[in-house]
Amino acid sequence: MIPLYFDPGTGALIVQFLAAAVAGVLLFYRTVMHKIKSLFGIKDKNDDDFMDETDNSEDKK
Amino acid sequence: MKSKRNTSSFRDPSGYVFIEDDSVKRVVNPIYFEQYNQLTSSGFYQLLFDKKYLVSHQEVSRTDSEIIIEASKIPFINYPYEWSFLQYKHAALLTLKIQKLCLENNFTLKDASAFNITFHEGKPIFIDTLSFDFYQENNPWLAYKQFIMHFLGPLVLTKYFGQDHLKTLALHLEGISLQKLSNLLPFKSYLSPILLTNIHLLAKYDKKYESDKKKVNNNLSKASQIKLLDGLYDYILNLSVNEKTEWDHYYNQINYNEVAYQVKKEFVKDWFSSIQGKSLIDIGGNDGTFSRELKELADFMIVADVDANAVEQNYKQILKNKEKSILPIVVDVLNPVANYGFNNQERFSFIDRVKEVNLDGCLALAVIHHITLSGNIPFSLSAQFFSKMAPNLLIEFPTRADSWVQFLLDSKREFKSHFDFYNEENFENEYAVYFEIVKKVKIDSSERILYSLKRR
Repeated sequence: MIPLYFDPGTGALIVQFLAAAVAGVLLFYRTVMHKIKSLFGIKDKNDDDFMDETDNSEDKK
Repeated sequence: MKSKRNTSSFRDPSGYVFIEDDSVKRVVNPIYFEQYNQLTSSGFYQLLFDKKYLVSHQEVSRTDSEIIIEASKIPFINYPYEWSFLQYKHAALLTLKIQKLCLENNFTLKDASAFNITFHEGKPIFIDTLSFDFYQENNPWLAYKQFIMHFLGPLVLTKYFGQDHLKTLALHLEGISLQKLSNLLPFKSYLSPILLTNIHLLAKYDKKYESDKKKVNNNLSKASQIKLLDGLYDYILNLSVNEKTEWDHYYNQINYNEVAYQVKKEFVKDWFSSIQGKSLIDIGGNDGTFSRELKELADFMIVADVDANAVEQNYKQILKNKEKSILPIVVDVLNPVANYGFNNQERFSFIDRVKEVNLDGCLALAVIHHITLSGNIPFSLSAQFFSKMAPNLLIEFPTRADSWVQFLLDSKREFKSHFDFYNEENFENEYAVYFEIVKKVKIDSSERILYSLKRR
């Protein structure tokens, strides 16, 4: 590993675990909501994700 | 052969950038050889080039003490404090996308500075070739804090308090401090789980462990880190800013009828062909309407405007039409970006960078009355400014009879008489110091004059 030229911050490294856990819950919730909505035929609005139109198709989320 | 080390490239021990005979080259130090070789042989660099995520490079020489690579040249490096909100967002998203792709290929971004990204050919692109390191299983993201200080911080401040905060990095080159960021945000930001964890909790932990320099590894699986990235990606993708600016009313304000508008468009085209221009800067270019008329003729156009919403509108059109030749940036002519950083040589001023590109022409439509009457800038000084932009200038001069000029003059109240100098004759005399008049045309059915000028 290359030594960093800045301090990554001990707290910032610890907190990532918590932030990831919260993000996980949020993403799960969003997926579930998306599925429920699609059962009723409600489509999420499609945001202008710039990458989709400029990148390889494999990259689509 | 002339070679000069880039004065903004000194932080990272892995290597540095230098300019040699107009090409951009990078020295890779032995400390980074292992990474560089692996990035090359695994095809990961190539993958990043193919996706247009990373500026491409070619190896030019290799010894035991240094490897030299040459990067494709980007004509005009632009900085985070020159981007509109959507551009800033896209730069942040690109960083997250690259980190995710890195993880999938067992690499990681070792830094996440917003200065590692610039806009080129209509899109953000990562320009720091040596920012990649090997991923160590279950290690957290070392650049996470930097990402928050450089990207999420300014974006969230902008969401709550407006687009002035897009310029945060001009003041804090290393990113906004977490404590300050957490203190500034309103109470309702605590209700967002993403902001609660990634800003408030982060700031708290950062302070708590401030003097504790222990090693933290093995606390975050790759799958969890990807969730962290996806969570941030999702949040940033859906961020919006709701701030009306002058631009949003612009189309009710233009002082043209359709005919005058067409005349102006034709004149711009003729002028650009007559100077045989290939590159251009459009000062006060709004959403790029007039520059777009030159799309067939020009290879590279910088469209600068003070209004972040107009710049964003321009950027949206670029995305929609997949335009590569237009670069939209936020520029305040009355206070252009200065030289920042150590020795004043880390981030370069707007004027220095424009001079460096040697543009063929400068377009200044419907802007001189704002500079002169709103900014109180004498003609002699604005002429000097424009003379630094390019050897050819097309400038529109709204006369005193123009309704906008009337409005601006009336806003001066008792001070109005101070602006008696604002007329055609004085304009021509003062500009004659720097330019000669090539052509002068009054636009029919308007109170405006177009001048084609050539620098002396």
